Amino acid sequence: MMKLIRKVQVKNSLGLHTRPATVIVQLLQQSASRVSFTYRRETINARSLLSILMLAASKDARLTITVEGEDADAQQTMSRLVDAFENSFGENGNYGYQC
Amino acid sequence: MDTNAKEFCVKGVPISKGIAIGKPFFFTLTETDCPEYTIDIEDIEKEILRYRRAVEASCRDVERLQRRLEREGVTEAAAILETHLHMMQDMMLTVEVEQGIRLKRNNAESVFCYVIKKCKKKFMALPDPFFRERYKDIKDVARRILGHLCETGVNPLAQVPARAVVVAHELPASDAAEATAATVSAFVTATGGATSHAAIVAKARGIPCVTEIDVALMQNHRECDVVVDGCKGEIIINPSSSTLRKYRKIQKQLESYFCHLTKESRLEAETYDGYSVSLFANVEISGELDMLHQYGGKGVGLFRSEYIFLSRDHIPSEDEQFVIYKGLVEKMKGLPIVMRVFDIGGDKFSHIDELPYEETRNLLGCRAIRFLLKEREIFKTQMRAILRAAAFGDVRVMFPMVEGPGEFLDAKAVVEETQSELANEGFVLDKKIPVGCMVEVPSAAIMADALAQECDFLSIGTNDLVQYCLAADRSDQVMSVTYTPSHPSIIRLIKLIITAAAHHDIPVTVCGEMAADPHFTPLLLGLGIREFSVALRYLPIVKKAIRSTSLIEATELAEKVMLLTKDHEIRELLASYYHKHAPDKEDPDFETM
Repeated sequence: MMKLIRKVQVKNSLGLHTRPATVIVQLLQQSASRVSFTYRRETINARSLLSILMLAASKDARLTITVEGEDADAQQTMSRLVDAFENSFGENGNYGYQC
Repeated sequence: MDTNAKEFCVKGVPISKGIAIGKPFFFTLTETDCPEYTIDIEDIEKEILRYRRAVEASCRDVERLQRRLEREGVTEAAAILETHLHMMQDMMLTVEVEQGIRLKRNNAESVFCYVIKKCKKKFMALPDPFFRERYKDIKDVARRILGHLCETGVNPLAQVPARAVVVAHELPASDAAEATAATVSAFVTATGGATSHAAIVAKARGIPCVTEIDVALMQNHRECDVVVDGCKGEIIINPSSSTLRKYRKIQKQLESYFCHLTKESRLEAETYDGYSVSLFANVEISGELDMLHQYGGKGVGLFRSEYIFLSRDHIPSEDEQFVIYKGLVEKMKGLPIVMRVFDIGGDKFSHIDELPYEETRNLLGCRAIRFLLKEREIFKTQMRAILRAAAFGDVRVMFPMVEGPGEFLDAKAVVEETQSELANEGFVLDKKIPVGCMVEVPSAAIMADALAQECDFLSIGTNDLVQYCLAADRSDQVMSVTYTPSHPSIIRLIKLIITAAAHHDIPVTVCGEMAADPHFTPLLLGLGIREFSVALRYLPIVKKAIRSTSLIEATELAEKVMLLTKDHEIRELLASYYHKHAPDKEDPDFETM
């Protein structure tokens, strides 16, 4: 068992809106670890799409990812999440859908 | 409430006759306003399961939509739906709703609404308008889940204060089915035609019902008394004391009229000149059967078996069905019961998850016997249950929506196959069960002669026959004027069917709305009908109409009608005949046609 903590920055222009949140929830479906996000002193379960949206983390927001789980799974989950944030959830400056 | 406000009258369409006076109860199912009631401790897990089922059903809806959008190449929209799927299964939502049901012991709808409201509050408090806007998706998702919940929920009509006038945009059949004349004094709806299922239930229970009413207008007068005139199709809001007096008097007259009719119901159903007629009842739920004996009905001419789905969201198993059917058969006390196999599809029972065809919602789509012939398992399960129950009384089997002899023989083959299977398994099936069919598709009426050769009996379902023959949707507001059983084509088709049945010496029943309208009784008798099957409430009225008709005169009337070519001519002739021979001059109920 291990606990990993990393700080990440929201890079995509619309912030953690519906589509990135969906990407995160989908990504975590392959993980067995406990994952939470902390932003502005609020900690939420990262598997809940609604909770992610309610963080209202916009572009440049810095949030803390906490992953707890079996070593291999926790490490893999963390690196995937960090990658997703780094790649702007595949939006690359593209706004994606905005409904 | 402004007590000085004047009374005012709103015109609608009469659905079910009678007068009611009471306070309005607004039966609306929206996100902010949903039924709330306490559940028993032992039902908590059931309630949670109901919530999960609603979520699953909503997911299936969305997945279906998604597939369609992807096929059409609208991938962006399909991606939004992916988000909806995740929202529906969102663990925060699930956990909060399930905990709420456990702790508050409230029904799933109310807990769900509460959680969604809380969620909305949080979103609305977000400083960034872009994120606030995301609530739109949640609202969409919530509406879908709530829709599924309300379809399966414990009926809120059970919570209606006594003698209330229930006002709703539209009344689902399942809700109406729970209502009794003892608790609900009337229904007022914005939409829903005369032969919608809610209307059928309202009529059977004798609950006055008026539709096509501007419900929003009534909402501005929540506190006022309302008079519902189901005969004229009017609503009087905030009635003056003289209006109230007038309607109380009519109400009393009506009650004593029904009382009088009921007293006479022990008399035989025979014409004035002594020809005997059989009066059967159309029945949806077993609770109605006590009234059958009370009104002196000769049996059940139409048991709408699909109504056993009303309080369920799945198709009951063979044993469950067997218990229901056996209970019915025993309640018949030896009288015959015609079991019509499931008429599902079309506008009926789209809430059952197991129905695989989207097109079952289409009136011209895969419904009734066509559906059962495709879904053999459902059909055979029901047949097994019916045949097993048949050992306990006089049971007959009827197929709905048969197109002609071909479909009838296909369906009959399933009955025979099931019979031999059951016999092989050691069930005792002591007699041959009569098998017949509804004549409600014009093609079946045209082929009546060939059909009568194969069937043990025929039953004319006038509601569908009229709507298919005249190509007029009975629930369409504009076309409901064209939808009329007094159209000459309908009269001729009925004559054709009667002649065919007589030729092959099999009985023929009329079981649609037409059979329950005393204006048509002399005509139907004159055309040769000797069996009527009507909603229970109408048994005394039709019996009275039969008893005051002379068959010789009725035959002359039928001959005259057969010569007419326009529906208004027929209507006028029947109305004038009815007024001349009206069973009761003081009859306040059936003054207009």
